[in-house]
Amino acid sequence: MLKTRIIPCLDVIKNKVVKGVNFKNIRVMGNAVEMAKYYSLSGADELCMLDINASYQNRKTFIKTVESIAKVINIPLTVGGGVSDLRDITDLLNAGADKVSINSAAVKNPKLIRQASLRHGSQCIVVAIDGKRHKNKMKVVIKGGREITKNELITWAKQAQSLGAGEILMTSMDTDGVQNGFDCNMLKKVTSNVGIPVIASGGVGSLEHFYLGYLTKSTGLLAASVFHSRKYKIKTVKKYLSSKGVPVRL
Amino acid sequence: MKKKVIGLIDGQSGNIGSINKAIKDIIKGRPYRLKIIKGHFNYSSFDKIILPGQGAYATLMSNLKKLKIIKPLKEYLENNSSYLGICVGMQILSDWGYEDKITRGLGVISGDIKKFRNKKLIIPHMGWNTINLNNDDTIITNSFDKKDFYFVHSYIFQNIKKSDVLAFTLYGQKFPSIVKKGNIYGVQFHPEKSHKHGLNLIKNYILKS
Repeated sequence: MLKTRIIPCLDVIKNKVVKGVNFKNIRVMGNAVEMAKYYSLSGADELCMLDINASYQNRKTFIKTVESIAKVINIPLTVGGGVSDLRDITDLLNAGADKVSINSAAVKNPKLIRQASLRHGSQCIVVAIDGKRHKNKMKVVIKGGREITKNELITWAKQAQSLGAGEILMTSMDTDGVQNGFDCNMLKKVTSNVGIPVIASGGVGSLEHFYLGYLTKSTGLLAASVFHSRKYKIKTVKKYLSSKGVPVRL
Repeated sequence: MKKKVIGLIDGQSGNIGSINKAIKDIIKGRPYRLKIIKGHFNYSSFDKIILPGQGAYATLMSNLKKLKIIKPLKEYLENNSSYLGICVGMQILSDWGYEDKITRGLGVISGDIKKFRNKKLIIPHMGWNTINLNNDDTIITNSFDKKDFYFVHSYIFQNIKKSDVLAFTLYGQKFPSIVKKGNIYGVQFHPEKSHKHGLNLIKNYILKS
């Protein structure tokens, strides 16, 4: 049986994992390579890392960090943040990423999804979508939720799939960083409208939140703070899910 | 002592970095040598060949053709030499692939590569899933039975002889996750991404076969 994936997410600046609510009060949580190694050894099913400050200078160090991480882990690695064109995607894959996630660039230029999946295969192209409720509608937002686009969430998710996305990384900006649980309503809408894997992201604070995320039919559950703060070990989450009858890799 | 030569084919179908590193770690301090195959090669100068792959069947076949790898690889396989195909590197052992367009494969293991039949499944089959061994083998031993490995694919080996299936996995249906014919092995999952069990499998292949 296919297992539900537990995916720690590293928000990275250069080579440091950071945590900041809405990009304010950024706090260093640790060294990215060390943390990646720790998660790989302690039972993570996959690892996600995002360059949250993809400026020209920071980028070089970030790519070196991707290379170092790819060398020390042997689980799949998804890398995103600041991916703007095919060149960025190729660079990250060459650095050792197994999958690359595209967010704003895909919204601005949907053809990028098709070009990237034709060149590298759908299996390594993840479309990251940030969703937010606006005037009773679920919309796609960019720039960390500060800019609401005209795209309707479900339409965009379906379009991403038909353009060749292999997976959707779905973050709700209504629940992200608040630790009150995933946006289950939004996730269910997405999973029931696409046929590709969906990773749930944004809002995990308790063990039960992981279980509720599983019930949305998301096949991957992503979390950051609860792992970085050592509130839960990955094994703790998996044992809990297993006791609720969720298939996990123990 | 003469060193055994392992060939790693770079079919320009995904990154070979992880598998390259895994092999290097395994053979360190042992009588083996690793050579990356990027074009025509002399089939008799290799003791083992590993072909990893991601992406589409048709793409890998056409890449191998362009790189002039098909002919020596066929000669190598016809001699029942030792081979490990990973993901698409396993799939092209079949007669035909039906991804994108119908493409002729290497024809080493009879069968076709077709999409999962169940239309309701989430595709690709992505994540960790269990392998169930049909038989114990010198490389794929009992210790791998019921263990999880990392899969990412939308197509599976179909119309294959039962005797060529070493292990199967369940996802909407039963499908072959390890195939074997003589010294030729193919795994549908990615051992290089499957943590310790995956690395053990590669290690067994290199050291025990």
